[in-house]
Amino acid sequence: MTFVLTAVGAALAVALELFEAMAIVLAVALTRRPSAALAGAAAAALACGALAVVLGPVLVAQVAGDALRVVVGVALLLFGMEWLRKGVLRLAGRRARSDSYAEFVAEREALSETAPPADGFDWPGFVIAFKGVLLEGVEVILIVTVLAARPGGLAPALVGGAAAVVLVLGLGLVLHRPLRRLPETELKYLVGLVLTTFGTFFCAEGLGADWPLGDGALVLVLAFWLALSQAAVRALASAPGGRRPASPSSSSSSSSEAPA
Amino acid sequence: MLRTLRKLVLGETWALPIGIFVAVGLAAVLGAVAGSADWWEDSGAFVLLALLAAAFVAGLGIRR
Repeated sequence: MTFVLTAVGAALAVALELFEAMAIVLAVALTRRPSAALAGAAAAALACGALAVVLGPVLVAQVAGDALRVVVGVALLLFGMEWLRKGVLRLAGRRARSDSYAEFVAEREALSETAPPADGFDWPGFVIAFKGVLLEGVEVILIVTVLAARPGGLAPALVGGAAAVVLVLGLGLVLHRPLRRLPETELKYLVGLVLTTFGTFFCAEGLGADWPLGDGALVLVLAFWLALSQAAVRALASAPGGRRPASPSSSSSSSSEAPA
Repeated sequence: MLRTLRKLVLGETWALPIGIFVAVGLAAVLGAVAGSADWWEDSGAFVLLALLAAAFVAGLGIRR
């Protein structure tokens, strides 16, 4: 159960962040120069790899035992509850739905207004691709590192993350555009639920409290956060200023707030 | 860039990360006060869950 939840959480988090990074890289590649887009993405990937090599061993070596569980738990809560908060707001119609394809189209239109240099390397394109991949990649590295740092978490976090990387890069190479019909809002909400569940579970263990049923309590904690967040969606949707939860087929452009 | 990185780690609002730190801090204090008492081992996880739920609702800004 723990292995599957960790792998699914890591895979979804990595895939969703990579979809957003891929939207930027593809926009640069299609409107400016593919070489600049690929070089920027590769440089950012190297920087993220260096961060992972440094962060993982430091986290495990400097913090041990129950303190590590609390640190890992709090980190998972910071990411998970923020993803969950955004998911609730999106499902309640209080925030634009997450849509990598819309970001891809907007980025492509913005980039097409300025032409790449006639000769020489396209440094602006490189910087845009580098920044896009770096910012999404840092979040990927932080989430996967934290999931991997807990006892027994390394294998499922790496398996889930690697599967997501292969899937997203494969889709990018084949399609040359982000997926249009991916339910990103619902998937990000699910990642928020999984990360928040793990964060709650490990924090309590680190603070010396026992869960009934051991690892089986993960299902109960997940059910609790699902029930609470769904109640929040309904409360926000029916409150003044809210509206009924948007369906997956509705457009993301219905709100002026940019998707995150 | 730094602002974006801060958003990545702490999120878009201060209410939620502060709520998380307060909830975990309160639970840590309760756990320290309880020591090895049975009630904390048996119920401490649910106390933390309730505190985190309150922090989450506060972070959403739901008002009646």
